[in-house]
Amino acid sequence: MFNILVYGAVTSAIYAMLAVGFTLIFGVARILNLAHGAFYGLGAYAAYVMTGPLHWPLPLAAVAAVLLVAGFGAAMERVLVRPLRQSALAVLMITLAVALIFEQGMFLLFGSEARNVPAFVTDTWTYSGLDISGQRLLTLAVGVLVLCLLYLFIQKTRAGAAILAISQDPEGAQYMGIPANRLYSLVMALSAGIAATAGVLTAPFLTVQPTMDLLPMVKAFAIVIVGGLGSIPGSILAALLLGYSETVVAYTVSPAWTEIVSLIAVLLTLILRPAGLLGKRAAF
Amino acid sequence: MRHLTTPLALAALALLAGGMAAAAEEKPIVIGITAAIQLQVGRDTVDAAQIAIDEVNAAGGVLGRKLTMVVADETMDPQQGVAAVKKLTADDHVDVLIGGYNSGVTLAQEPHIADARTIYLGVGAASPSITDFVKKNYKRFKYIFRVNPINAVHQAEQVAGFVVGKVKGDLGYRTIAIVGENAKWVQDLAPVLKSTVEEGGVKVAMLELFDPDMSDFSPLLSQVKDSGAQFLVILVSHANSDVFVKQWYDAKFPMAIGGIDVKGQDPDFFSRIGGKSIAETVTNGLLAEPLTPKTMPFWNAFNARYKRPPVYTAPGAYDALHIYAEAVDRAQSTDPDKVVPELEKTRYLGTQGTYVFTDDHDVKPGPGLINLLFVQWQENGKRVIVWPKELATGKMILPPWINQRADAAK
Repeated sequence: MFNILVYGAVTSAIYAMLAVGFTLIFGVARILNLAHGAFYGLGAYAAYVMTGPLHWPLPLAAVAAVLLVAGFGAAMERVLVRPLRQSALAVLMITLAVALIFEQGMFLLFGSEARNVPAFVTDTWTYSGLDISGQRLLTLAVGVLVLCLLYLFIQKTRAGAAILAISQDPEGAQYMGIPANRLYSLVMALSAGIAATAGVLTAPFLTVQPTMDLLPMVKAFAIVIVGGLGSIPGSILAALLLGYSETVVAYTVSPAWTEIVSLIAVLLTLILRPAGLLGKRAAF
Repeated sequence: MRHLTTPLALAALALLAGGMAAAAEEKPIVIGITAAIQLQVGRDTVDAAQIAIDEVNAAGGVLGRKLTMVVADETMDPQQGVAAVKKLTADDHVDVLIGGYNSGVTLAQEPHIADARTIYLGVGAASPSITDFVKKNYKRFKYIFRVNPINAVHQAEQVAGFVVGKVKGDLGYRTIAIVGENAKWVQDLAPVLKSTVEEGGVKVAMLELFDPDMSDFSPLLSQVKDSGAQFLVILVSHANSDVFVKQWYDAKFPMAIGGIDVKGQDPDFFSRIGGKSIAETVTNGLLAEPLTPKTMPFWNAFNARYKRPPVYTAPGAYDALHIYAEAVDRAQSTDPDKVVPELEKTRYLGTQGTYVFTDDHDVKPGPGLINLLFVQWQENGKRVIVWPKELATGKMILPPWINQRADAAK
């Protein structure tokens, strides 16, 4: 029982970190970013390269990896997405291309074997039948912190207010002098940075492999559909919902059944409430 | 008129064929390697075969002909695997195919190998179904042999021997759990393993197969803990055992682990996951120990040339090549229909033991023949053979936290 509570919270935190960035960039810039999983993977691989072959200390490597991926996100928006913004389909295809290039690039550079990223915390916690690694608890803590910071950023800063304005009425916001393009780059960097944070934190206990971007991508998509595309509170709610349902199924039924949970949730949402839990209108 | 032309035409054909055969003798014998070259198991197949080819060529070749190699990437996808075999047989006209890793891929390739009437020596896939083809339709599938590894059912028997003899016999553990990836070879192996250890007086508290793509094993490991198992037998090849072992170590789950873990055989496995495979026991076919007079020379040659120790497909590919070369020599021909009977007579002392084939062309396990070694990762990444008894090079250790808890309980 206690196992489910704690492991469920960790899974939900990871999912929430993946989903908020994905939904944010859609809500603000209407970009359905299929390379979102690649940001997560890039974060993990960057941390591997910096701690492994380059022998950097872990905290430095982690921060550098997140910043690097955030920069990559901004550059991707500027160079690849912005010129194609007129066509939603073209944007979709270019982000898919980036995801595929990530996979093949990692294949060529590092081969298909799993890579190791050292853990920040190596202690283990044992408490009333629960065994959990410190790294997972750290992931939970950082996940909550990142979400709180994101909330404060959007609610309390000028840039946050501008982001809200542009997501509500892009044209109106531009008439008011809000620099849309610069904000899109900023939001893409934020979204990429949060996904990379999740990648760096989970790399020590999950996998670092060229195909590692697919599952987080699918999960982010599922959560965002359930929560309502473009709604940040919706994604956090859906992340908790999916994280906990999967954990309950894994512990009480079988770990083999976890992957089907999110698919059923997506199906039910699309049939019963196409706008998602907190979405205002159907996105598709 | 017809009575005259037929014998004449036949004679002409025979002459022509003879001439062509003579010309062919000048050409090299082409070895086709079909392997998943993205993976260590695949690269080692290629590299070990190259060592054997160089040895044979240095000794003058076979039937006065040199050996050459062509490689095709069969990946882990049956469709790609079939394409690789078709390319090697139809385009490159190889004389023999050596390779394999994923049983699903090999099973998909088999009809195409049989249609191409090309000898196939498997060196990586373990499903018993692979040689079932030979049993069911010898005439069509007689070209298929498995040199390595011993098949999944035989592996199950050897793992059961380890569980009953070592885990129960020496460690005194009577309750185990079996966890494996949901793949053909495990589906073949797990039931045999379960019934055999139960006959040996060991209780199987849990048997669970998981998706090979799974990346979070915590719920599974918790279930194993709750089942009361003192030892966890793992059966993984394609799944991510790096993550599995790391999660076992990180949360200090209170059971020892061991079994078939193909990635855990990688020489860099211990260092790659930060030493977290400490006390994990994994099966190996070969190690830097003089199992036969050929083991150390091969081990050293491989190390010297590629600056890394070989994984299990390497001794298989190396021995398979020599087995083929000797069979061709005995047959005095590369004609598959003449080489197959010679391959069936194989009794070859290789790097892992003596190779003998069963009637359905599967490699025979047993004392004096081919055996699995149970090798434990110990301090500083040292590998110690702990089973079979007669080959053991050291004592089996327990994970450090289990020792601590045992001490605390005293």
